[in-house]
Amino acid sequence: MDLFSNLALGFATALSLQNLALCFVGCMVGTLIGVLPGVGPIATIAILLPITFGLDPTGALIMLAGIYYGAQYGGSTTAILVNIPGEATSVVTVLDGHQMARQGRAGAALGMAAIGSFIAGCVATVVIAALGAPLTKLALLFGPAEYFSLMVMGLVFAVVLARGSIVKAIAMILAGLLLSTVGTDLETGQERMTLGIQDLSDGIDFAVLAMGLFGFAEILRNLESPEARDVVKGSIGRLLPTAAEFRQSFWPIVRGTGLGALLGILPGNGAVLGPFASYTLEKKIAKDPRRFGRGAIEGVAGPESANNAGAQTAFIPLLTLGIPPNAVMALMVGAMTIHGIIPGPQVMEKNPTLFWGMVASMWIGNLMLLVINLPLIGLWVRLLKVPYRLMFPAILIFCCIGIYSINNNPTDVMATAVFGLVGYVLFKLGFEPAPLLLGFVLGKLMEEKLRQALILSRGSFSTFIERPVSGTLLAVAVVMLVLALLPSIRKGRDEVFTE
Amino acid sequence: MTTMDKGAPRAGGAVRAPQDFAAGLFLMAVAALALWLSSDLPLGTMRAMGPGMLPRAIAVLVGLSGLVLAASAFVSDGEALTRWHLRGPILILGAVAVFALTIRTAGLIVAGPASMIIASFATDEVRWKEAVIFSVAMTAGCILLFKVALKLPIPVIAFM
Repeated sequence: MDLFSNLALGFATALSLQNLALCFVGCMVGTLIGVLPGVGPIATIAILLPITFGLDPTGALIMLAGIYYGAQYGGSTTAILVNIPGEATSVVTVLDGHQMARQGRAGAALGMAAIGSFIAGCVATVVIAALGAPLTKLALLFGPAEYFSLMVMGLVFAVVLARGSIVKAIAMILAGLLLSTVGTDLETGQERMTLGIQDLSDGIDFAVLAMGLFGFAEILRNLESPEARDVVKGSIGRLLPTAAEFRQSFWPIVRGTGLGALLGILPGNGAVLGPFASYTLEKKIAKDPRRFGRGAIEGVAGPESANNAGAQTAFIPLLTLGIPPNAVMALMVGAMTIHGIIPGPQVMEKNPTLFWGMVASMWIGNLMLLVINLPLIGLWVRLLKVPYRLMFPAILIFCCIGIYSINNNPTDVMATAVFGLVGYVLFKLGFEPAPLLLGFVLGKLMEEKLRQALILSRGSFSTFIERPVSGTLLAVAVVMLVLALLPSIRKGRDEVFTE
Repeated sequence: MTTMDKGAPRAGGAVRAPQDFAAGLFLMAVAALALWLSSDLPLGTMRAMGPGMLPRAIAVLVGLSGLVLAASAFVSDGEALTRWHLRGPILILGAVAVFALTIRTAGLIVAGPASMIIASFATDEVRWKEAVIFSVAMTAGCILLFKVALKLPIPVIAFM
């Protein structure tokens, strides 16, 4: 079997001493930032990017990936123990997880979250391994028109899945696309909208934009609406759930994993939606929906499995098609290109050790997380008691050092401050910054493919509709958008997000 | 606390969603800026797009979504504008600017504590002594972590 020999190669790579250590470091850092509210994987990976310059690419990506899925584990700890989500993906875990903690069942909630995450992680690893090869073959058939349409579909998904106003989400995507056109034009070499600033001729640096919008603006946001921290006092209880709790959680974990894995594959940051979808589903099919919100273990097991599965399957579009489905994956693109690896179908051909090593490391990482996380709960709790007045200056200095180190350029730090201000204004006007970042990420690639496709078709837009694959992708995008705008479905969508 | 109200348009109470209205105006301003900045770029044709084609097309779309948003603010109710705080943005972003200005000229040994102490004052809960001690300790930690352990080329002491 091809798959087995590939996985064997992967494990051989991932089990080398250096890669094991990097995987461990990634998982630990990921858990740490997952536990800490206000520090997300985007800012952390951007900060650590310069450090990976000296590593070999496989090791670097193993570590960065570990940070991302490790954060999903850590986020649940904060959600359960402190009643605030440590990460965006653990928002729904707060609902029942914290109630369980108040009833003295914190240990069971934490244990079930970890076990669910582990199972989801294992399944997602297999999904990546199984889908990798066929999707890569499919990608090789893609021309510029298909790539363009696929990215359009991804952006439409991002709009549909975004929270709040659809018009605002569309506007943010467009603003991201607009920002991506700043800099030297690829074909003519002409400078576009650079205001004559030298540093802008290469375009806006992704890390600078991301750190401004997510690092600094996040601090400003938190300072303005201080959250009440309600750290659970008293004992956490036994970590191993009872047999009855296992039985109750088994199917929610299975369903959550499936939903999360499926949504995670979608370009357009579907991974964030996984936990919401899972929670809604569990509540809908429960015999007694009133238990939800009062400490139902299904409300922890399902969403926690979903967010972990989604975090891993989000790697699929990146590794097979070369399209980053969300901001974290865009940073992975940065990490890969620094080492001269162009993300896309050729990765599996040219760098099989990288691809399969990363897949294998995810499984190992999940095992590590399960083993190291639960005994360390006490440490995380103590960390959560550090007041925010000390936390944010620390985050600020880490961000500053991180941005400076990317190009050893103080102007980058200044630019990040400007984007921090932009992020604050956006927050005040009720915009979500995530779609903007996605638009920015896909913008350059989309423009390139659009122009290529139009040169091939001699300026005719009908090429996007006439080519079957491209036409289908666009049709899916249109249907999704129309459905999202329909009043009845819109109401349902709002309900999903308000719960 | 220093606060100010953003010119919330409440003329005649016709605007039912002030936040959306302001957001729409903001988008239109962004679009106008982009159109102005890209006005000297050649558009090209569909067959061979010039550098100005996409920026201007996207800018028009941004402006349109702003228009829709602003118009919808007259039709349906929405959120009010919240107060704009000045203390946080000025001190936090000022601290970042101080870091940018001093990292090359003075080094991390100055940039670190200076920016962290300035930032600390962004909240009411700040405590003088604690902020100073913490920022010095954090800077020492950062030097050990980033310079000694990870060997990033960060200037620690630049003026010597």
